[in-house]
Amino acid sequence: MTIFIKTTPVAYTHYAVQPRIGMHHGMEIALSFEGDSTEKAHKQVLAVTDVSCFARFGIKGPKAADWLNQQGIKTPEVMNAWVEGAPNTLVLRLGGSEFLVEDQAQGKACEALTSFDQASTTGAYQVARSDAAFILGGREVLNLLSELCMLDLRDSAWPSHGVVMTQVAGISATLIRESLAGEQVYRIWCDGTYGSYLWEVLTEIAQELGGGAVGLICRFQ
Amino acid sequence: MMGMRLPAKIGEWIKRDKKIHFTFEGQEYFGYEGDTITSALLAAGVKVLGRSFKYHRPRGVLSLANHDINALVTDGVDTNIRADVVKLVNGMQLQAVNTDGGVIKDKRKYIDSISPLLPVGFYYKAFHKPASLFPFWEKLIRKAAGLGIVNFNFPRINKRKLNDFCDVLVIGAGPSGLSAALSAASNGLEVILVDENQYIGGTLTYDHAGQDTSQQILKDLVASVLDHSSIKIYSGAYAAGYYQDHMVPVVTDQGITKVRAKAVIVATGAFEQPPVFHNNDLPGVMLGSAAQRMIHRYAVKPFNIGVVVTANDHGYRVALDLVNAGVEVSALVDMRPKPKQDAQVDALVGKGVQVYTGYCIYEALPVKGKLGVSGALVCPYDEETATADIKNAVRIECDGVAMSAGWAPAGALLYQSGMGVAYRNDIQQFVPNRLPKGVFAAGRVNGVFSLDGRMNDGLRAAAEASNFLGKQVNVVSVAEHQGVSPSHPYPFVHHPKGKNFVDFDEDIQIKDFINAAKEGFDNIELMKRFTTVGMGPSQGKHSNMNAIRILAKIRNLPVEKIGSTTARPFFHPTPMGHLGGRSFHSHRLTSLHAWHQAAGACFVDVGAWSRPAYYQKAGLSRLENIQQESLAVRQSVGIIDSSTLGKVEVCGPDAAEFLERFYTGVYADQKIGRSRYVLLLDELGVMVDDGIATRLADEQFFVTMSTANAPAVYREMQRWLQIWKLNVTLVNVTGAYGVINVAGPKAAKVLSKLVSLDLSEAALPMGRSAKTEMNGVSLRIVRAAFVAKQAYEIYMPSPYALSIWKALLEAGKEEGICPFGTDTQRLLRLELGHPLPGIDTDGLTNPFEMRADHALNMDKPFFIGKRSLEIIAKKPLTKVLVPFVLAENYKGEIPQDCNLIIENGAIKGRVTSISYSPSAKRIIGLAYVAPHQSQLGSVFDIRTDNGSLAKATVVTAPFFNAD
Repeated sequence: MTIFIKTTPVAYTHYAVQPRIGMHHGMEIALSFEGDSTEKAHKQVLAVTDVSCFARFGIKGPKAADWLNQQGIKTPEVMNAWVEGAPNTLVLRLGGSEFLVEDQAQGKACEALTSFDQASTTGAYQVARSDAAFILGGREVLNLLSELCMLDLRDSAWPSHGVVMTQVAGISATLIRESLAGEQVYRIWCDGTYGSYLWEVLTEIAQELGGGAVGLICRFQ
Repeated sequence: MMGMRLPAKIGEWIKRDKKIHFTFEGQEYFGYEGDTITSALLAAGVKVLGRSFKYHRPRGVLSLANHDINALVTDGVDTNIRADVVKLVNGMQLQAVNTDGGVIKDKRKYIDSISPLLPVGFYYKAFHKPASLFPFWEKLIRKAAGLGIVNFNFPRINKRKLNDFCDVLVIGAGPSGLSAALSAASNGLEVILVDENQYIGGTLTYDHAGQDTSQQILKDLVASVLDHSSIKIYSGAYAAGYYQDHMVPVVTDQGITKVRAKAVIVATGAFEQPPVFHNNDLPGVMLGSAAQRMIHRYAVKPFNIGVVVTANDHGYRVALDLVNAGVEVSALVDMRPKPKQDAQVDALVGKGVQVYTGYCIYEALPVKGKLGVSGALVCPYDEETATADIKNAVRIECDGVAMSAGWAPAGALLYQSGMGVAYRNDIQQFVPNRLPKGVFAAGRVNGVFSLDGRMNDGLRAAAEASNFLGKQVNVVSVAEHQGVSPSHPYPFVHHPKGKNFVDFDEDIQIKDFINAAKEGFDNIELMKRFTTVGMGPSQGKHSNMNAIRILAKIRNLPVEKIGSTTARPFFHPTPMGHLGGRSFHSHRLTSLHAWHQAAGACFVDVGAWSRPAYYQKAGLSRLENIQQESLAVRQSVGIIDSSTLGKVEVCGPDAAEFLERFYTGVYADQKIGRSRYVLLLDELGVMVDDGIATRLADEQFFVTMSTANAPAVYREMQRWLQIWKLNVTLVNVTGAYGVINVAGPKAAKVLSKLVSLDLSEAALPMGRSAKTEMNGVSLRIVRAAFVAKQAYEIYMPSPYALSIWKALLEAGKEEGICPFGTDTQRLLRLELGHPLPGIDTDGLTNPFEMRADHALNMDKPFFIGKRSLEIIAKKPLTKVLVPFVLAENYKGEIPQDCNLIIENGAIKGRVTSISYSPSAKRIIGLAYVAPHQSQLGSVFDIRTDNGSLAKATVVTAPFFNAD
C-alpha cells in the first residue's frame, strides 16, 4: 500500500529554492536550504524555519480545558497564555476556551490526544488544524516583526508566557516567545493556506536583513 | 563665480576632508560630505536654484529648512528632490524642475511679464466657455505651470513601514524638546525623540546672535541625550501626522515608522514668516533663520553685502550672525516704530551697521533677469496703513536681504490631535489652550520664545507627561512672556506693482487675497481654496499665518476671529513609495497549488484564493479547454480541487437552533449523516450565499459556503452568535480541510478503487455523507450533485490533499480522469441548471426571483430575512430567473453575461450566465426576465453586444439528459 505523505503548507515555495527535503512526523519538510555555515550565520542574524510538521491538536469549548487535564495535559490558567503542558509539548490557550497543543521536536503528547471521541464528549470539540508554523530567531527578529505587526513585541511589553493573537503581514496569526536551546525565539502559527504567503514575506525580509531560511537540521543542532 | 564657503567653524555639519562632486544644470561643482544640494550650490556662489510654480520667476534660498520649495531638482530619475535638505551624493547630475531651457534661460520666464493677465483662478473665468475647449486650455496651463515631471518608470524601491513604541514621543529636538526628552527619560520613561534635521539641537545649532554662549548649552544637552539609554533618536525624520491613540508616523529617507506612544510632547518650534514687500522672492532674499543656518551649519556666507529687514528682535540676532560671518551688513531696517535699545543694537552700531527704525523695504531691486539682488529701496513705514513713504526712499546697494517678521507655530500635529487654540496678542500667535489627554506642547509652538523659557517649558511638559503616565514628579512653572512680541501683527508693504509674495509655492500676492475677498471668498477656508494659499507642497508653512493676517485686515476683524486651517496628515509631502511600503498582498493557496501550476493551470483569483480556471492544453483556446474538460466529466470522470470552499463546524447543544435561525431551511430534524441545502439571506431578504450542511452528530454540523463569500458568512455567524447568545461553538476549518470533488458517470468506479466504502446509489444516495479511510487517512465523503449527477466531495486534512489527488489521478487513468477548473465548473453547473449566488444574483435578488422557494421554510418562527420575505411575498414579482436556450443552429452574435433582455425597446431583465454546452450541443443560459416571459416555451429577445437581438426560448433545466 502506498503511504500517503503530508505536504507542508509552504511546499509551493520549495519549487523555487529546492531545499533538501526530509520526513518528519509524516510530512515532507525542509531540512536545509543552504550550506551548514551559511545557515548558522543566518541563525545568528535572522532565521526562519518551517516547523509545520510538528504534531498538533486543537480543542475548543467550555469543557476543553477539563478534557485536556483529564488526559494529563496541563493547561494555562489565564487566557492568552502558554505552558509546557507535557514534556516537550506546548499548550497555548487561545482566548478563553480554545487550546492548541503542539508537540515539539521530541514531544509525543498529541498522538495520544487523537483518541478524542466527539460522540462521548460534551462541551469540547476537536478543532482540525493544518497550520503553517514557523520559528523565528536571530538578533534582527524584532526588526522583522516591527514591519509585520503593529503590536509591541518587545520583552518589556509582552509577558514571557503570553500568547498574542494578531495580524502579521495582514493575516491572522498566533505568536509566542520561547527559549529554544538557550536562544530566545519567536513562534508563529497561521492558517496553512496562508503559509506560502507568510513564508515568502518572512524570508524576503530576512534576506534583506542578512538572514534567510534555515532548515530543521540547523535549527535543532 | 565667487565661492562663499567660510573658514572651518565649530559646529559645522560638513566634513571638509570628503569632497563630493556633482553637476547642476550641466555645470560641475563640488561640496563636502554633510552638505545639502543647496548648501553646496550656495557655497559655490550659485544663487538661482529654481523657477517659481506659476510665473517662472527665478528663485533662490528661502528657508533652507524644508519649509519651502524654491529649490526643487531632478536627477533624471527622481523628481521634486528638496535640494535644501537632501544630502549631496557623489556623481549627482541635477537639473532644476519646471523649466524649459534651464533655470537661467527658462523660455517660460515671459509668463512673469504677463502675470497681470493671469490672476488667481483666471483659467476658470477665461476658459469655461466653450466647455469643449477647456481640456485644451487645461493641458496648456498644466504644461506651463507646475513642478517636476513624474517618472512613470521610477524604479520600485522598497521603503519599509515599521512600528515602534515608547512611553513618551518628543517631536522636535530643539532646546524644549531636548530638555523634555531628558527630563522624561530621567523620570524612568522610554523616550523617542524625533527631529527633521540631520543633527539634533534645533535653533541652538544656528541661532547664535554673534556669540558662542549657546554652544555650551547645546553641547551639554546633546551629550546628555545621546548618553541616555532610555532615549532613542530619529534624526532626519519628520513626524508627519497625528492619529488616534498617539500614533504618529515618522518619515525618514528609508521609510515610515509608525510610533505609538503613551504620551506625546510636541516641541516642533515655529516657522519663520517673511515680511511681504515687492520682489521679496528674488534670489538672495531669504529668511533670517535661513541665513543663520547657512552660516553655522554649512559654513556658507549668504551674501557679501546685505540688508536685514526685521519686524521683531530676531532680525538683530540675524544681523549679528551675519556680521560675525564677515558679511558687510549695510543696514538693519526695523519696521517697528519704537527704537530697540539694548546691547545688540549697540553691538551692531559699533560694527558700522546703520539701523533704520520705522522703515521698511519698499522693494528689493533686481539685477538683470531678476537673477539676484542689486539693492534695496528703503522707506519710512506706516504700520497703520502698511504703506511706505516712497518720497523719502533710500537706495542701499546690496547683494542679499535677510528677512525676519515673526513666527508661525509648527502646530499641525497639535491641530490634528484636536487642540483648541487662543490668539495671544502679546506674542501675536495662536497657542494651545486645550490639548487632548496625553498630548503636551512645549517651546515656541506653545508661545515660549526665550531660550531659558523654552528649556523650562520642555521640563514643564515632561513633568506633566510623566504625571500623566503615573509618575509623581514636581510640577514645573514657566514664566510669562516678557518684552516685545516675537511676531509682527501685519508685516506687509503694499506696492502698486504687486509681486509682494505671500505664498512662494504658488506665486500668490497680496492683491490675490484682496481680489478673493472682493469676490466673496472672505472666509479663511474659502479663501484658501480660491487663492490656493497653503495648498502647495509647503502646505502653508510660510504663508498661512500671513494669509490669516491679511484676511483679518480686509475684514477688519481680530486675527482670532478669522481662525486657522488645519493641515491634514500627512502635513508634509511624502513619497508614494513610502506610503505603499512593501505592499503586502495576502493570498491563500491550496495544498495542490504547485501541482496545478505544473499541470498548466490558468489561475483566477477568487476572493483571497488563487484557483485553476482551467488547464491549458497545447493548441487549444480557453473555450476549447473548458469544453474538453466538461465533456470528460460528462462522459467519464473529472476531478477538481474544491479546497477553497468555506467550511465551518457548528457545534454545541444549540447547533441546530443556530442553523434554523441563520439559514432559511429546517435542520432540527436532520438526521446524522445527511446533508441539506442551506441558503443565507440578509435582513432585507436578499440572497447572500448558499452551501451544504451535513449533520455529523447530534450537536455538530459541518457547513460549507462559497469560496468568495466564506469570510463574510463566517463573520456573520460570529456576529449573530453574539446577538443570540446560543450555546454554540463555531470552528472555522476552511484551511484545515482539503476538498476534492470527483464527478462524472465513472466517479464511483474510480473512487471505489481507493476506499472500502460502499458507493452504490442505495448505500450513498444524493444528500448522504459517510466517513471512510484512504490509506489510513480519515476522509468524509459527501454525495453532492452540483456539477454532475454522480459526484463525490472528499474532505481530508489539507496536508494529505496532494497525496490523495495523485492517488485519484492514478486510479482514474484507465477512465481518462481529467482535472478541471472553476470555469469548467461554472459550465457544468449551468448545464444542470444550478444558479450561483453572486453570479446569478445581484445585491437585490430575493429567493422568489430565483425560484428558490423550495429552500424556504416560512413556517419557522424566525430566520434572517424572513420578515422581509413576508412583505416581499405580498408584492408581485418583477423578474424571474429562467433557463433558456438559443436555437440549435444559432449563427448570430453570441450573447454575453449581462446582456439585456429587451421587449418593445424596454429592458426586462439580463442574462446572468451563458455558454455553449457541448453536451446540450447549443447555447444555454440563465436570465432574469419579466414574469410574463417566464412560461415554458416563451421566447424573448437578448440584445447582444453588437446591438442585434438573439431569440431565446425558456426551457427546463437540466439542459440535457443527465442520466
